[in-house]
Amino acid sequence: MVAGDLPAGDLPAGDAAEDAAGRLVREEWARVVATLVRVTGDIELAEDAVADAVVRALERWPRDGVPDSPRAWLTVTAKRRAVDLIRREARRSGKEAEAVLLGEPGPEPAEAVRDDTLRLVFTCCHPALSADAQVALALRTLGGLSTVEVARALLVSEATMAKRLTRAKQKIAYARIPYRVPPAEELPRRLSAVAATVYLIFNEGYAAGAGADLVRVGLADEAIRLGRLLAELMPDEPTVLGLLALMLLHDARRAARVDDRGHPVLLPDQDRSRWDGAAIREGVELVGAGLRRTPDRPDAYVVQAAIAACHALAVSYPRTDWDAVISWYDVLLTVHDTPVVRLNRAVAVAERDGPAAGLALVDQLGNLDGYPWWHASRAELLHRLGRTEPARAAYRQAIALGMSEPLTAHLRRRLAELPDGTLS
Amino acid sequence: MPTFIALIYTAEVDWSRPEYADGLREYVAFNEAHAAILRGGHALYPSATAACVRVPAGTEEAVVTDGPYAETKEALTGFMLLECADLDEATAVAAEIPATRYGTVEVRQLHPSLGI
Repeated sequence: MVAGDLPAGDLPAGDAAEDAAGRLVREEWARVVATLVRVTGDIELAEDAVADAVVRALERWPRDGVPDSPRAWLTVTAKRRAVDLIRREARRSGKEAEAVLLGEPGPEPAEAVRDDTLRLVFTCCHPALSADAQVALALRTLGGLSTVEVARALLVSEATMAKRLTRAKQKIAYARIPYRVPPAEELPRRLSAVAATVYLIFNEGYAAGAGADLVRVGLADEAIRLGRLLAELMPDEPTVLGLLALMLLHDARRAARVDDRGHPVLLPDQDRSRWDGAAIREGVELVGAGLRRTPDRPDAYVVQAAIAACHALAVSYPRTDWDAVISWYDVLLTVHDTPVVRLNRAVAVAERDGPAAGLALVDQLGNLDGYPWWHASRAELLHRLGRTEPARAAYRQAIALGMSEPLTAHLRRRLAELPDGTLS
Repeated sequence: MPTFIALIYTAEVDWSRPEYADGLREYVAFNEAHAAILRGGHALYPSATAACVRVPAGTEEAVVTDGPYAETKEALTGFMLLECADLDEATAVAAEIPATRYGTVEVRQLHPSLGI
């Protein structure tokens, strides 16, 4: 007897069945762990128990079919496993543990699961934890990646990651970081910390580029999965809607971001037919939903997503609605005034009003001397203005400051395209 | 109920000087407002008045020296004990300690197994 999203009758055979079971299990991971954290009060124990339940699911489901409610099956199996673990380690008397864990008959009510998962999100992204610890916990505890997978994705050794995760969980216990949703007056601040952690994960994957490093690129998918979880848990929070929209709209360009030889293709030159139309539609709808919920004060993520939507909806780079892009940057500056936002606005002004207008704004910025994108943007505008020697110097400074490998290659090619003014 | 210590780091303060009278009144107000959860605390004399005690390895005799040695802008100038349910409650109370506006307040839970 099977039902739900993936009836056994429709399950493909062999590897495909395993993939399907794996996806289902990953989708339920955070919620099942959250329930187990509530009943055991111990994140480590909860993860161990759920990991064991997952192993069993991956053995059984492809063979016997997916149960009616995969979540209930995983939760019950994990609870039984938790009882075993508690007995073995004598963390509590077996009888007591059994009463606590197996006492409530029937499946967990959806409302309780939602509340548990929200609590876990705010615990893992608590501001008293370092950014590194938050990212690791988000991927492991909320995302369900194994310690080895998290270590690989973040380019650290497995031992280092295991230590980082253990310390983070110890800190939650010893510092007594609460397992609860922050009160309404603190929610906006805490929510932006959660969003920042997920966006950091997304950028780790996005910056790695496509094709070059699949493990790193997988981080972008993980971040989007976490974004979807947040949007399901908090469907009325503009920050959450804006974050998911922003990630989807950027990720929609993934296939067009590199050419066949692995070189980066920048936005103006991308083949827009290779953009993911479904992701763009979803992103644009989320931008609308986010804007409707922020009539008074714009949310920085929603506004950034609106800018990304302007690009996503343009039929070509020259036909981008630059007036709209620049207006959105003006809105963004009212809530998030940073030199980097001003730099991006200047680049948009250059497209609308010409390179000289853009360069004047870029040169007004100052304080960005150590930021390679500032030099790269200047170099490009100087290049277009035919100011060969200053352009050459700016390209070299951008390269010297270090950008990702493919972007450096792009800058070198642009540098080589400059007319050879001197014979150096 | 768990207990947290708020360690207060600021520039050195001499509370006996008249210019600190306003600062002193702020603390009196804080103590009154949070009397229900305050389990003790004190301002300290400046770190220059501290004595360090060690028994060097291989000896039985205590050596007393002056110290501490670090020349930092902010020194430990006081502490408070707060009885709170969790870190968020403790940091919410700590945020009202006057020193948060001119120094740093570090909040930690007391370990339950060693203490009197």
